[in-house]
Amino acid sequence: MDPSIVQQTFKAAPLTTEFFLQGSVMENSLETLVNRLKGLCDNADYQQESFQDHEMVFHIKNTSVPTPLVFRVRHSLVQTECWSLRYLGHAEVGDKNRPTLVRSYIDCPTSENVAQFIGELGFRMDHEFVVKGFYFHKGRMKITVSKFYKMNQPGNTTNDTIETVCPSYLVELSVVTSSGQEAVGDDMKNFAEQLKPLVTLEKTDHRKIQLAQT
Amino acid sequence: MGVVCVFACPVPEGKSGQQVVDGLQKQVEMMGATKSGNFLVDCETYQSNPQNVTQTPQQCVVNILHNSEHPASCFSVTESGQILVSDLLFEDLMSKLTMAKAGRESFYSQRKGFKIESRGQRYEVGDFIIKIGSVSLASNFRGILIEVEYCPCVILNECWNMMKELLQSMVGNSAETPPPVLKHKPDTVYTPSDTILQYLDHFNNFRKAVSAPPPSR
Repeated sequence: MDPSIVQQTFKAAPLTTEFFLQGSVMENSLETLVNRLKGLCDNADYQQESFQDHEMVFHIKNTSVPTPLVFRVRHSLVQTECWSLRYLGHAEVGDKNRPTLVRSYIDCPTSENVAQFIGELGFRMDHEFVVKGFYFHKGRMKITVSKFYKMNQPGNTTNDTIETVCPSYLVELSVVTSSGQEAVGDDMKNFAEQLKPLVTLEKTDHRKIQLAQT
Repeated sequence: MGVVCVFACPVPEGKSGQQVVDGLQKQVEMMGATKSGNFLVDCETYQSNPQNVTQTPQQCVVNILHNSEHPASCFSVTESGQILVSDLLFEDLMSKLTMAKAGRESFYSQRKGFKIESRGQRYEVGDFIIKIGSVSLASNFRGILIEVEYCPCVILNECWNMMKELLQSMVGNSAETPPPVLKHKPDTVYTPSDTILQYLDHFNNFRKAVSAPPPSR
C-alpha cells in the first residue's frame, strides 16, 4: 500500500474519544459476573483473557498554572514488550440524555524506553500502581473487571510487594472511537442493562469524587 | 529491513541541485534500477517552555521525524539521543503539550522555520534500495541526501565494504568511512532508529549551515 495512503488513513479519523460507564462488584460476586460476561461477549468458548499491567503516572508542571498535564505509561507484566503512553482527559457527564461518560483518550503504543524519554521531556513520576483483571469484547465494546494494587516498593511489581487498595473490582464498559459517534452510547446502555442486577454500570460524576478527596 | 547508510552528496560549483539529482537518477537507472515510488523523511522540532518546572534549567528540544518507509510510525529524538519509536498517535500526545489553554502557557512550542525534509525518488536494484532526496528547509533547497539500503544483511560490518563501493560511485570520498552515527556500533543489529539518527545528524548539519547562502536549485 502506498505509504502516503497509510499515513492519511491513520491521521484521518484518529480514535481519541472514549465513551464509558463504570461500576463495581465485591470479590464474592466476581465469579458470577465473569460467567455472565463470558455468556454475553464474543469468543464465549475460549478461556477469558486476563491482564496484569503496571501503570506509572507522570506529571509535567508549568509555573503559570498549578494544574499539571498528566501522561500515563502502561506496560504489561505478562507481555513485557508491550508498552504504551496514554492520556486520559477529564470525564464529562454532559446532559442527562447522554447515556455515558465521555473523555479524551489517547493510547499510543511505544518502544520500551518511554519512561526515560518522557523524563527527558520534563515529566516526573507522581505515583504508580499495578492493575490485574479480566477483559472481554462485544463487538467494539470492551469490558474490563480490574483490581488495583498499591506498590510498597517503588518499581517493584512482584506479588509479595503489592497489596490491594480495596476488596472490590472496578467494572468498566468502554468504546474508543472518533469524536461525534454519540450513537454508540445507546448500544452501551443496552448492554449495561443485561448486566443488572449483578453490577450497575452508570455515569459516575468524577468531580464529586475529587471534591470528596480535597 | 537491512542496513541503511545515508550520505550527503556534494553539489559542485556551477551546477544546480536539480542537475545533480538528475545526474544521480540517470546513473542509478544505468545500473538497472527500477523506480519504486517516492519517499519522504521529514523532521519538525519542538522546544520546551522556560516556565516548565524541571530539574535542569536547560531548554529541552525534541525532534519528531517520519519516514515513509515506516508509514505507521513516528520517531521522537531528544538532544541526548534518546529515541522513542511509537505509533502516529504520538503526535496527538504532542499536541497536548503544545496546546495553550486558558490561563496557561503551552509546555512545548514548535520551532518556526525549522521544518526540514528529504524528498525524492525511490529505486530498487537487486538487493539494494536507493533513495535520492532533495533536502528542503522551510521550502528552501539546502542539499542532496543519498540513502542506500542493503536488504539481506542487518550487521553493518558484514556489508560495509560492498555498500562503500556503491556509495563512493555516487557521493565520492565522503563515503570513505561509515556514517558517524553508526561508527560505534558496527556489530550490533541495525534498526530503523539508526536510519532516523543518521537523517537527524544530516538535518542538523544543514540547519547549522543555514547562515551560508543555499546552493542554487
